[in-house]
Amino acid sequence: MSTTLTQIKPLSQPVDLGVEAATFSAQVEAEIDRHLAKYPVMRSAILPLMFIVQRERGYLDPPGVLYLANRLSLRVTDIWEVATFYSMINTSPVGKYHIQVCKTLSCKIRGAGKITEHCSNKLGIKPGETTADGRFTLSEVECLGSCGTAPMFQINFDYHEDLTPEKVDQILGSLA
Amino acid sequence: MSTELINITINGKPFEVPKNSRLIDVCRDKGFDIPSFCYYSDLALQASCRMCLVRIEKMPKLQTSCTITCTDGMVVTTQSEEIEKAQRGMTEFLLANHPLDCPVCDRGGECELQEMTFEWGGLEERFTEQKNYAAERYLSPMVANDPQRCILCKRCTRVCDEWMGEDAIEAGGRGAHTVIGTYLGWLDCSQCGNCIEVCPTGTLLDATYRHQTRPWELAQTISTCNFCSDGCQMSLGSRGGVLMRVVARDRYVNGINGEFLCVKGRFAHPFVNHEDRIKTPLIRYKKGGKLIPATWDDAIKHVAQNLDVVADKYGRDAVGIVGSPRLTNEALYTLQKFATELVGTENYGTTDAYSLKPFFDNLTGQLATHKDIRYAGTILLIGGEPEELQPLTGRQIRQAVRNGGAKLIIVNAVPIRLREQASLFVHIAPGSEDAVALALSGEGDDELAGKKAGISTQQLDAIRQALNSAQGDVVVAFGGELSDDAQALMAQLPARFAADGRRILLHPLPLFNNSVGAYDMGMDNRRPVDMLNSIGETVHALYVAGSFLPEHLHGHEETLEKLEFLVVQELFESETTKYADVVLPVASYAEVDGTFTNNDGFVQRVRQSISPLNQAKPDWVITAQLAQELGVDFGFNLSSSAVFREIGEKVKAYNGMRYPLLKDEQHPIQAKHALAGSSDTSGQLSRLRESVEQLSEPGDKINKTPEVGHELFKIGNLTDKVPQFHLLAGGNPRPDTTRISPLYQITVDANMERETMVAGD
Amino acid sequence: MRIEAIGCEPLQLRRVHLENSRSLDVYRKNGGYEALKKVLDGMSPDDVISEVKKSALRGRGGAGFPTGMKWSFVPKDSPKAKYVVCNADESEPGTFKDRYLMERDPHMLIEGMLIAAYALSSKLTYIYTRGEYRYLIDIMDVAIEEARAAGLVGNNILGSNFSCEVHTHTGAGAYICGEETALLSSLEGMRGHPRMKPPFPAVSGLYASPTVVNNVETLTAVPDIIRMGGEAYQKLGTEKSGGTKLWSVSGHVNLPGVYELPMGYDDMEKFIMEDCQGIPNGKKLKAVIPGGSSVYIMRADQIFGKDVRMDYEGLVAAGSSVGSGGFIVMDETVDIFESTKNLTEFYKHESCGWCTPCREGTDWLVKVFKRIANGDGRPEDAQLMLDLCDNIEGKSFCPLGDAAAWPIQSAIKRFPEDFRKHLSNGNN
Ligand SMILES: Cc1cc2nc3c(=O)[nH]c(=O)nc-3n(C[C@H](O)[C@H](O)[C@H](O)COP(=O)(O)O)c2cc1C
Ligand code: SF4
Ligand code: FES
Repeated sequence: MSTTLTQIKPLSQPVDLGVEAATFSAQVEAEIDRHLAKYPVMRSAILPLMFIVQRERGYLDPPGVLYLANRLSLRVTDIWEVATFYSMINTSPVGKYHIQVCKTLSCKIRGAGKITEHCSNKLGIKPGETTADGRFTLSEVECLGSCGTAPMFQINFDYHEDLTPEKVDQILGSLA
Repeated sequence: MSTELINITINGKPFEVPKNSRLIDVCRDKGFDIPSFCYYSDLALQASCRMCLVRIEKMPKLQTSCTITCTDGMVVTTQSEEIEKAQRGMTEFLLANHPLDCPVCDRGGECELQEMTFEWGGLEERFTEQKNYAAERYLSPMVANDPQRCILCKRCTRVCDEWMGEDAIEAGGRGAHTVIGTYLGWLDCSQCGNCIEVCPTGTLLDATYRHQTRPWELAQTISTCNFCSDGCQMSLGSRGGVLMRVVARDRYVNGINGEFLCVKGRFAHPFVNHEDRIKTPLIRYKKGGKLIPATWDDAIKHVAQNLDVVADKYGRDAVGIVGSPRLTNEALYTLQKFATELVGTENYGTTDAYSLKPFFDNLTGQLATHKDIRYAGTILLIGGEPEELQPLTGRQIRQAVRNGGAKLIIVNAVPIRLREQASLFVHIAPGSEDAVALALSGEGDDELAGKKAGISTQQLDAIRQALNSAQGDVVVAFGGELSDDAQALMAQLPARFAADGRRILLHPLPLFNNSVGAYDMGMDNRRPVDMLNSIGETVHALYVAGSFLPEHLHGHEETLEKLEFLVVQELFESETTKYADVVLPVASYAEVDGTFTNNDGFVQRVRQSISPLNQAKPDWVITAQLAQELGVDFGFNLSSSAVFREIGEKVKAYNGMRYPLLKDEQHPIQAKHALAGSSDTSGQLSRLRESVEQLSEPGDKINKTPEVGHELFKIGNLTDKVPQFHLLAGGNPRPDTTRISPLYQITVDANMERETMVAGD
Repeated sequence: MRIEAIGCEPLQLRRVHLENSRSLDVYRKNGGYEALKKVLDGMSPDDVISEVKKSALRGRGGAGFPTGMKWSFVPKDSPKAKYVVCNADESEPGTFKDRYLMERDPHMLIEGMLIAAYALSSKLTYIYTRGEYRYLIDIMDVAIEEARAAGLVGNNILGSNFSCEVHTHTGAGAYICGEETALLSSLEGMRGHPRMKPPFPAVSGLYASPTVVNNVETLTAVPDIIRMGGEAYQKLGTEKSGGTKLWSVSGHVNLPGVYELPMGYDDMEKFIMEDCQGIPNGKKLKAVIPGGSSVYIMRADQIFGKDVRMDYEGLVAAGSSVGSGGFIVMDETVDIFESTKNLTEFYKHESCGWCTPCREGTDWLVKVFKRIANGDGRPEDAQLMLDLCDNIEGKSFCPLGDAAAWPIQSAIKRFPEDFRKHLSNGNN
C-alpha cells in the first residue's frame, strides 16, 4: 500500500487462500471491536489485532491472516507486508514460553551472554530454537528498556530483571 | 503546475524554469545527467535509493533532487567530488549484496544497475564479505523473481498499486532482509507484468522468456498492440523469424502508454509463431469434404471463379464481404474498395461487437486522448469495464483520480474495480445503461430513467450537476452496453454540456485494436448478425477476412452451411473456417506493415517484425490479388504505403496522412473525424424513450465485484495458443501450483474447462 | 536500581515513591490535575503555548527541539482534525526513563497530553508505546478509565466544553517506530517507514492532519510548567535548556537507575563517581555514552577534570550530546571494538530497509565487524569502516543512518587502540 493515506480504499474482492478464515469467540470479537473503535481508520488497528490473533492462535497462520484481511478489508499481502516488518509478530510458530534475552550493550556488559548461555544449556537449545516439546523458544533480542536492571530477559510479556543463573533456574522452574 | 517562471542556477549556468517544477526533471531536461533508481515520473515519491544527490546552496547536507521542487534563486551543483563520492558510494552499497553474474541474468544488457556501474567504472571491489542469499522463484506463470538482485527501488510495488490498483506485490521483511514479494509467494493479480517492465535490475523477469535470448540479440521493432482499442505502443523483440518477447521499455519505445502494457499485449504474442498457424491455402473441393492444401494461384483462381458464379447467378448483392476489426486500416480499406468498387455489393460490414456508426455520425466533440484522460478534471464512465477491456484507459482514469485529483463518476450495473476510485458510483440495474443516457440527453426523463435504472432522481441530478459545474476537461467514456440511439446521444453531449473553460471530450470503448479504423475505412456498413441472417435470402457467398465472433455466430452455424461459397482469411482454424470452401493463410500483426486507429483516434504504425510465416500473406495483398484475378488492378503493387497513400487521399479524416508523418510514436497523429454539430436528436430521443419504457422493472442488482482478470484471462482464438493463459483461465492458479517453474506448469490439461472466444480477446 | 532526584527538588519524580503512586487518588492528593484545572479555568490555547515557550522546554525524545516552538507550528486555521501523539516507543539502547514515569505516575502523562491537546485544540490523542512494554499499556488503560470515570477524559472535561479522548496504541518491535514520522506510519497500520519531511507532522502528520509528536518525558513536564509557570520551570535549568532532565544510568556503576538532574548540572565526573557511587569492584572508568547509543562515545579523560556540564550545550562542548539521556558507563574491562560491534548489530537489526545507505551500509559494517571478530581483521578495515560511515552519514533518508555511523566514527577516533588490537593480527 503506497504511502499517502488518502489513497487507501477498501478492498473489493474477497480473498481466496484456499483456507477458511479463522473465527473467534464473541468475547474476542468484542475485544477486537473495542480496538477498532479507537481509530478513525480501520487499518490503524492492524498491530493490536495481530497481537490478538497471535495470542489466540499461537502465531499468524493463514486462517489468521485471512481473518485480518477480511476484518480490515485489506489484501492478504498487506497483512504480510506489515507482519513481517515487526519483530514481535510471528509468522511461524513459537514456544509457549518465549524467552527473550536482551543482548544490547548495557545488558551485554552486565553479563547477558552468561544468561543466554545458561538458558541454552538448561533447555538444550541454541538461541533461535524451540524445544522439541514446543514449550520454550529462546531468542536474543535488542534493548528492552531494562538497562538499569541488567541482565534481564522477557518471557512472553513479563520482565525478569537483575538476573543471575540461580534466579533463572528459579524462574524457569516455576513455569508450569 | 504553475506556469510562473523562476530563476535557478545549475552548475553555474542560469535557467528560467516553471515554479515548483521538480529539480531532477529540470536538471535532466537541461542536459545535466542525474543518476537515479527509485524516481519514476508520475509515481509516488520514494527518495530511497539516494542516488540523485545534489548540493544546494544554503542547505545542510546533500539533497535528493527527486524530492526538491525548484524555488526562485536556487543555486544547484550536480557535479563535484563530494557528489560523485556519494553516488559511487550508493552504487557500491547496491552492488554489495547484488550477484555479479550479469552474463547469466536475463536483464543483462538492459540493466540500469549494470549501466550505472559501467558508467562509474573503477568501483574497486571493496566488498569481500559473504553476500546475502535468497533463492530464485516464480511468483506466477508470467513473473519470475530473483530476490537477490533487488535494489528495493519499489517501482514494482508502486506501479502495481498506482497504475493497476491491484496492490498485489509489496515489500516484506525489514532492513537488509527486505524482500519484494507477496503473501505465500503467489502473485494474485491481472498478470500485467508491468512490475517486470519497470524493474531496473533482473529481479522481476518475464517467466515466459527466461534464458531464451540475450536482449542485444533481439531485433527491436516498434509497433502497435493488436488486442484492445487502446493501441499501446510496444517493441517487438524478434530473432531468426521468431517473435521472442514484447516489451514497452522506454529504451526502445515511448508511446501513449509509456512502459505500460496489459497481460495480453505483453504475454499473448506466442500465438504468432504457434504451430497451429494455417500454413498454406486450403481448398474444400466439395461440401462436407476435407480442406486440402493448394497453391496460392489455384486458391485465388478458385475463389474468383466461385464469387463470379454466385454474382452471375443471384446478382452482386449476393456476395457478402466481411472484415474483422483486428485487421489493419490497409486491409480494411482494400476490402471496402473490393466490396464497393469491384463487386458493388450492398452487403459488406465488420465482425465487430457493436457499431460505432451512430456515434461517429453524430459526433459533436473531440475524442479524448489518453493524455486528456490523465489530466481531466472530471471523468464520467457509463458502462464498460476499462480495467479489463481497455486496461490503459483504466490506468489513465485511476491516475487521473489518484495523482491528478480528478472527480470520477461511474455509472455501472456492476461494482467494477475502478469504482474504488470513484467519488460517485451510481449502481444501476443490469441492462439499464440506456436509461441514464436518456436522462442525460433528454428533458424531464429522470422519473422514468430513475425508475428503470433502480436509482434516485437525485443521483441523476448529481451526475448532471457534476457535468454542469465542472471546470477544465470533462471526459465522457462509455461502453458497448449502450444502444445505437444512446450512443448517438452520447456523441451529442459536448453540444449540450460544453461551456467556457469546459471541454467535453468523448472516449468510446470499442473492444478491438482497430474498431475505430474499421469505421473510418467505411467497412462499418452492415451488422454481422444482419449479414448472417440474410444468408440464403440475399447473400449466397461470403468473403470473410477474420472470423465471426462466437456470440454472433452462435445459433447461425448451420446458416454458414447454407452458403454456396465461403472463403475465409485466417491465422488459425476457427468456428468460421469449419464451413469454409477456401481458407487463406494470413500474416499476423507482427508480420505486416500498416496502421491501426485507436480509441483516441490516433493512427499508429504497425511494423513488420518478422517476415510472413510459411505461405501467409497480408490480408490486403490477398484482397488485391483477388481483385487482380477479377480483372481490376488496385495499383498498390505490393506496397502497404501505397495503400495508405490512397487512404490519405480518399478517407477524409485521414487527409494528407502518410507513413513518414506517423513515424514518431511519441507524437501520434489524430484522425480528423468530422464534427456533425448539434443536430436534432428528437428522433433518437423518442426511440430511446420507448425502448427504455420497454425495460422490465429493475430486479436485483449485481453486488459482486468481478475477479481481477475475469475478462483478460478468458480464452480466445489467440490466447488459446498461449499455455500460460490456460493456467489463468480458471482464475489465478493457487499458490501450490506455483512452487515449480511455469515450464512444468504449462503442460496444459486438454479437458480443462475453457470459455470460448469473447469479444475483447 | 535507584530512582532519585539529585541537585534539585524532585519534579518529575515527585510521586514515584509514594504508595499507590499510580492511582488517581494519590495523584490528585499530590497536586495532580491542578494544572489541567488551571488551564480549563481561563487559559487560552495560546496562553498555554506561550508558557511552554517561556519554559525553554526542549524535547526529551532525543532531538531536543524546543517544544513550545513545535506546538506553534500547528496551523490554527486548518479545518482538519488535529492529533497529539505521545512517543512512548522508548527503544534507544540505554534509555528506560519513560518506562518508570508511566509505571509509577501514569496520570502525569495523561494530564500532560490533555493540556497539550487543549493547547492544540485536538480531540483525539494516542500514546504509542513499544510493544514490549505491554504491562505499561495495561497500566495506562487502567489510569485512562479511572480518569474517564472522574470526568477527566472524554466529553466536557471537568465540566468545561473541552472534550478529548486518550487512547493507548501498541507497537510491535521496531526501534525505527520511535522516529516520529515512522511512528505515524505505524500508527496508521503501515510498515514503520519514516516519511519525507517536509511536510512536517505539525502540518501533515497522522491521517495527513496536523499532528504533534512528543516524548513521554516532554509531556509529563507540561503540568509542572503550567503549575509553576514557564519562567519558574526554566529557571530550574539553564537559559536555553529549561527544567530538569531524567537520565537513565546503566552499565558499570554501583547505583544504576533513573536520575532527575537540573539541566546544566555539573559535573559529569561528580555524577558518575559520587551520585552513582562510582565504578563497581574498584575498576577504572573507560568510556561513557551519555545520551543513548546514538551519540558520540566519550573517553574517561574527556570527563575527568573537565567539569562537563550536563545539558545540551555542555555535552556538545564536551564532544557528545544529551540525546535521550541514556547514560551508559563502561569500565576498563570493556573492549570498545566489541561494544561498537554490539551497537552496530543493533542498528542493522533496526534499519527499516527503506534507503540504500542505511540498509546496505549497516549490513556491510556488521559483516566487517564479524570478520574482524573472527580474527580476519585487516589493517585497512578501520579506514574502510570510516569510509562506509561517511557514505551513510548525511545521506540516509532518516537520522537512523547517522545514528548508526556516529558510534563507529567516534569509537574508532577515540579508541583507536581497541581497534588496532583486532586489526593488526586479528584477535587470535
Ligand atoms: C531512529 C530514531 C529513533 C527515535 N526513537 C525515539 C524514541 O524511542 N522515543 C522518543 O520519544 N523519540 C524518539 N526519537 C525522536 C523522535 O523522532 C522525535 O524527535 C520525538 O519523539 C519528538 O518528541 P520530543 O520533541 O518531545 O522529543 C527517535 C528518532 C530517531 C531518528
Ligand atoms: S536511514 Fe533509511 S533505512 Fe535507515 S531507518 Fe532511516 S529510512 Fe530506514
Ligand atoms: S531518485 Fe532520488 S532518492 Fe532515488
